[in-house]
Amino acid sequence: MRLSRRTLLAAGLTAPLAACSTPQRRGAGGPVEITFWSALRGSQQVVDAFNSSQSRIRVIFQQIPSGLQGGYAKLSNAARAGNAPDVATIEYPQVPGFAIDGVARDITDLVTDRLKQKLLPQALKLTTFDNRVFSVPLDIEPMVLHYRADLFDQYGLRVPRTWDEFAELAKTVRDKDSAKRLVLFPTDGAMQFACFAWQAGAKWFDTAGGTWRVTMTDEPTRKVAAYWQRLIDDDLVFRNAVESRQSDAQIGQGLVVTRLTGAWDAGAQMRARPGQKGKWRIAPMPVWDEPAVGTHGGSTFAITKDSAQPEAAMEFIEWQVSDPAALTARLKSGTSSQYPVAPGLVETGSKAFPREYYGGQDVYQLFKQEADKVRDGWVWGPRMSATQRVMQDGFAKAGAGRTTLIEAVREAQNGTMPDLKALGLSTEEGER
Amino acid sequence: MKGKLACAVLLAPFFLLLVTVFLVPVGTAVWLSFFGADQPGLGFGPERTVFVGLRSYVAVLSDPTFLGSLLTVVLYCLIYIPLMVVGALTLALLLDSGVAKLRSWAQMGLYLPHAVPGIIAALIWLYLYTPGISPIIDLFAKADIRISFLGVDTVLPSIVNIALWSNLGYNMVIFYAALQAVPREVLEASVVDGAGPVKQAIRIKAPLVRAAIVTVTMFTLIWALQLFTEPVLLSQSTPMISTRFSPSMYIYDAAFTRNNYGLAAAASVILLAFTIALSYGVTRWTNRKAA
Repeated sequence: MRLSRRTLLAAGLTAPLAACSTPQRRGAGGPVEITFWSALRGSQQVVDAFNSSQSRIRVIFQQIPSGLQGGYAKLSNAARAGNAPDVATIEYPQVPGFAIDGVARDITDLVTDRLKQKLLPQALKLTTFDNRVFSVPLDIEPMVLHYRADLFDQYGLRVPRTWDEFAELAKTVRDKDSAKRLVLFPTDGAMQFACFAWQAGAKWFDTAGGTWRVTMTDEPTRKVAAYWQRLIDDDLVFRNAVESRQSDAQIGQGLVVTRLTGAWDAGAQMRARPGQKGKWRIAPMPVWDEPAVGTHGGSTFAITKDSAQPEAAMEFIEWQVSDPAALTARLKSGTSSQYPVAPGLVETGSKAFPREYYGGQDVYQLFKQEADKVRDGWVWGPRMSATQRVMQDGFAKAGAGRTTLIEAVREAQNGTMPDLKALGLSTEEGER
Repeated sequence: MKGKLACAVLLAPFFLLLVTVFLVPVGTAVWLSFFGADQPGLGFGPERTVFVGLRSYVAVLSDPTFLGSLLTVVLYCLIYIPLMVVGALTLALLLDSGVAKLRSWAQMGLYLPHAVPGIIAALIWLYLYTPGISPIIDLFAKADIRISFLGVDTVLPSIVNIALWSNLGYNMVIFYAALQAVPREVLEASVVDGAGPVKQAIRIKAPLVRAAIVTVTMFTLIWALQLFTEPVLLSQSTPMISTRFSPSMYIYDAAFTRNNYGLAAAASVILLAFTIALSYGVTRWTNRKAA
């Protein structure tokens, strides 16, 4: 049959109109439509790949601002209004908060054994509370040490394996060039600090006793705070915000020699500073005495209470976290170096991630080795965004010499407890 | 009968607005502050709304960050209100005495900033305060003076400066209008008695505009206690303004970052009570002096 010119025109006219109309969830006839919100870069590519891989489920994607830039407020407000998306991206620290608020639904029964076997158990534990699963992790991001191999060669430096060596190195770097520093202590880096504490064995929150036990100034945290305080007091590190032009300049001009950040940041660095190609390498995070690390960053997918299609939503989530095509699509966007929680995907990541920037280094093998060292037992708190902000308010003052790091951590706990109490949670404070 | 009807019709809009934009929101806040969506234990169970009594109030009052924000705003009032009242009155007296030339130009120049919306004013000053883009800081730097408007100790004075710039002209106009009502014969009598212009301003004119001074002080106080726009905008350029810098910012943070509406409502009611108490205090104090 030949199509008349008129039918073609009509088709051309109606197609854009159809695209404008609000998406309808269709019945058994057409594909099931689910909505998905994320701030993660490359998500559109992942969704496109999923939509073209099958015809039963159609995902409608919306890019939203990152969490503290308004993404989380948007999600909370949508949930209050009863129109949250089917699937939302939530970072690990915020999972308990959204679970308590009833935004992320209990998906224990939807997480099959088949899916569980594909994921690293230490990652799934971070999204499980009270024996109930509230979201499915996508990536786990052990902190690693990015370093300027060219400057290390020039000054004859060795990659530090322990924090003692790291402190020694900080002195050496300053002595070699008084304008340079080994590293930045980020005054907006409560999450980096949490990772340092986590590595040392701190347990800021504990739910074991059926109550929220808060102990943010425990012995390991005090050790970590004292360590960085000394580096700050001796002027051995930069101390300013990492999300700032100042920090960009420090990295761009080669004033800062190493960076302590999650595995994901390898991709971000590559995209932000293409000119430094070949100069950076990545090494394990320095350790205290046991080979353990903490994580910095990482995201999870939750199904919200408003979802009418939780099974379809879970199918999409499972595909996103465990199908090689999903990781390939994300890495192809050229902005990510996420380390997947599904060990089966590491080979895919290793192949898809371009190696030239890090001088041919197979960074995924390093991430794999580090992800296995993530220390067990860490639990995020019920109002982590707020805890983080109060701590950073203190860090900013500590950077200006007005208070100390441990005092900032103590203030963060003091500013968190009233919140938890007003939420009606059962709470308890540990040693101070 | 007809008079009563007219009275009711004419007053209706006022009461309608009073109820819908004041009494209902206040009532809602009070209600919210006494109820919570609770789940027992760790909080992962289903929510149910329960009466929680004074729990949210206890939480707010035991929160060092809230008490810190109250302290900040009290400090702000102590710097801002005297500067504002004395500054506006001095300018009004100067204009009234005829010392200032080009009176209407001066008046307009001083009043104009008040016509600039608060958020635009804060943006203008944000530009002038931010290192790297501020021409003022550049100028000082050329004279080898390093100055930071957004440092630990300078950030509060910087906010006071914005508020003064915005409101000085407005309050000056109020004082100037009050000064126009001072009877000329009183002033003439004082001149006959040998009072110079300065003595006349301080001893005769200022006491006669007392009512205006009390009004301005009261409005300035209420406005200052609600400090929000300026610090929120400046906080984009300096970490020295925390997310819970002033009570209003604390309330905003409690509701929209912490999703803790009970806490936000309790803090709002406390701020309202604090404002009413302070205003009442100011009224009582000035009345007692008048008696």
